[in-house]
Amino acid sequence: MAILALTEACRRISALSTGDLDGLAGAVAMIEEVEPVSTVQARLLDEAVIALRAVMSGAAADPRATLSSALRFLDTAALIGASGAGAGLAAEDASERVSSEPDAPAAFSIDEDDRELVSEFVTESLDYLAQAEAAMLVLETHPEDAEAVDTIFRAFHTVKGVSAMLGLGPISALAHRAESLLTKVRSRELPFSGDVSDLSLAAVDALKALVDGAAAAIAGEPWTSPVGLEKLAEGLASATGLRLDPRSTVQTEDAGGPEGGGGVGGTRRAPAEARARGDGPTPALAGTAPRTDAEGQSVRMRTELLDRLVDMVGELVIAQSMVRQDPTLGRGDQAELVRKVAHSGKIVRELQELTMSLRMVPLKPTFQKLARVVRDTAQKSGKRVALALEGDDTEIDRNMVDVIADPMVHMLRNAVDHGIESPAVRLASHKPETGTIRVSASHSGGSVVVTLSDDGAGLDRARIITKARERGLAVSDGLMTDSEVYNLIFEAGFSTRDEVTDVSGRGVGMDVVRRAVQALNGRIEITSTKGAGTTFTVRLPLTLAVTDGMLVRVGAERFIVPTTSIQTSVRPLRENLATVTKHGELLLTRGELIPMFRLARLFAIEGATEDPTRALAVVVSGAEGRCALLVDELLGQQQVVAKSLGERVGNVRGIAGGTILGDGRVGLILDTAEIIALAREGSGDREPHVALN
Amino acid sequence: MTSHANHRRVAPPGVAGKYFTFFLGPEEYGLPILVVREIIGILSITHVPGTPPWMRGVINLRGKIIPVCDLRVKLGMSPVTTDDRSCIVVVQTQEAQTGIVVDRVSEVVDLAEEAVEAAPNLGVDVRTDYLLGLATTGGKVRLLLDIDRALSSADIAKARSLATDLEAQATP
Repeated sequence: MAILALTEACRRISALSTGDLDGLAGAVAMIEEVEPVSTVQARLLDEAVIALRAVMSGAAADPRATLSSALRFLDTAALIGASGAGAGLAAEDASERVSSEPDAPAAFSIDEDDRELVSEFVTESLDYLAQAEAAMLVLETHPEDAEAVDTIFRAFHTVKGVSAMLGLGPISALAHRAESLLTKVRSRELPFSGDVSDLSLAAVDALKALVDGAAAAIAGEPWTSPVGLEKLAEGLASATGLRLDPRSTVQTEDAGGPEGGGGVGGTRRAPAEARARGDGPTPALAGTAPRTDAEGQSVRMRTELLDRLVDMVGELVIAQSMVRQDPTLGRGDQAELVRKVAHSGKIVRELQELTMSLRMVPLKPTFQKLARVVRDTAQKSGKRVALALEGDDTEIDRNMVDVIADPMVHMLRNAVDHGIESPAVRLASHKPETGTIRVSASHSGGSVVVTLSDDGAGLDRARIITKARERGLAVSDGLMTDSEVYNLIFEAGFSTRDEVTDVSGRGVGMDVVRRAVQALNGRIEITSTKGAGTTFTVRLPLTLAVTDGMLVRVGAERFIVPTTSIQTSVRPLRENLATVTKHGELLLTRGELIPMFRLARLFAIEGATEDPTRALAVVVSGAEGRCALLVDELLGQQQVVAKSLGERVGNVRGIAGGTILGDGRVGLILDTAEIIALAREGSGDREPHVALN
Repeated sequence: MTSHANHRRVAPPGVAGKYFTFFLGPEEYGLPILVVREIIGILSITHVPGTPPWMRGVINLRGKIIPVCDLRVKLGMSPVTTDDRSCIVVVQTQEAQTGIVVDRVSEVVDLAEEAVEAAPNLGVDVRTDYLLGLATTGGKVRLLLDIDRALSSADIAKARSLATDLEAQATP
């Protein structure tokens, strides 16, 4: 309640005369009770006390001026307190967004009858909060955007109304305070900048955490409140209260009295809240209505149902192709049946396209999160960065959206921290003070291409090479192309930053990014021009549900090799084969000797071709390099629906999962990177190590 | 009756009920009917390289991939040689659905509580905790399986001769 005590002290001092010694002593005592939230605030408080003491002892030459300077110190200190609470929470929030106070179970639980309503509320309010967050970021650059203010206001208002109706006290209380603050912004009493925007963003984060908590509470977990909630509530209240004009301060005093700032907004807006409680659905509906108009009619659906639907349709496609390939149809005497089967096939394919499109969602929400990341990172590293987003309506499988968000955040942080120069450096090199990061997404031939480019310093080839040498990586300045050099930054633990910052430079990041992209069957490329910036291009498949695979035969077993990892396949010639030691076989292909592993030996399969010159070598590439896998035959390329083998089978090294083949049998999908690692460890003829549950 | 009850080991509560029974080799085993999801013929099983011998592989159950275990191997017997009477029993374990290859399906029996006794303790070397109990009805001994324990990866092969010994005792 430090802030409240300060505001109270301010108010009293302003009513004091310079001769009122008791009153001044009281104010000093009150100030000394305040626990400063920062060193700056502590100094301001000290100054105020010194000034007040000077007035009291008569040492001040101009007591009236000294008193008003004390008042100014206090006023400023109170403001720091307000933003300190917000900034403090934002910082905590960034590092432990999901952390909750331990052993702080909710004072109440969710009513059995309300569960469905609450879960609807959760989905809806997360939507609203995301919209509010996006609008806040817009507002920071376009403070005049009244529509954005309305969006934020409506979000807080709806969340408040519905949560109050459902009896979710902590949510409605916080939303209420945030709404009060926004009322001030809406009526142009407060500008949306600095403390106000920090506090509003912190409020959105805290509300999200609370709503997530409510979602967990439905599942029966205890509801805990996020760290720093009280501080935030206080900050919001005092930010709302502090700038009240004198008239409303008086009103507040009359109505709220000793409750102080916490009651400021609360008392004034009590009638509105009572209305919200009384006929709860009305404000909620009022908030929903315009959105429904804008987006057309839609149905919310459980995602597991949707996933199951997509799976089942995948099966239908395979089952239909089994019918189509039935020998009965191929005999030629069943023209009518062939026609019917072909017709049903067409419908099935259309159905598949339709169901796949159900699961496609635009990248917009993901992009909106990026805006926040850029803002926070730039603030921390003292840079000025503008983010330009393009193609945020590009659609991608919703199951991939969450997975690509993390690597994109990593890349953006890196771009802000490493790519964009500090304003001073930028000005010195005749660039605009504010750096630009452009993130764009588009569809290109069956894949989604996301590019992320900055107009920063670009990658420093010489520095990367020096760093790589220091780390003991094999590099040769003369022979490596730029792109080979740039790719070194994807090595684990690689960082050209000398100092470790809060943001990045700890050597984790780009290798994680590459691994994440590869896990999605994607590719990442870098281009960079020194002094002009760096561009990362990430290519991802539209969906993970369907993978392109090459069906190969080894003995009587069949496996799927993901097409993205296959470079080429060759029938080895005798003169291209070499055996280094007893076990290690090498294959010469395109002027390079690469290790060759026999899948049959790796997986202990009998009946496979022993003579490599009568088999086929499939050259695959992974993070570990290139290698050749010896198989008996390529059976053809096909799209496969990847599935997990289940927990009981456990994590079998070298197998990424399974799929249902055209004949209804299960085919195993190879994990080429794992196979390369596996084969290197065992030199190809030991029993593969298996991790089982 | 009283004297007989004295040396009976008391079965855990709640074991009474309907059991689905099947043969693994010469012994008849029982599973609580509620864990049995369905019984299907032997589909073509895809072997997964590097899994333990009792893991027969995986099958396609209407679009879902489920593992198939060979309980005979798990219990230390020779693997099931499938014929036209072999089946895959799909059971619901705590983790997921799992198939079990069995030699022959027998019947569904209703077991009263007094027909079931707890599995005997045969010393530290022999694990019997994968058994819910033993059912003795009509001179036959049926081993009632706790499917989650039986399929856990720990070694229960030492229990192999248990069933035969008990059969010998029960039929004088």
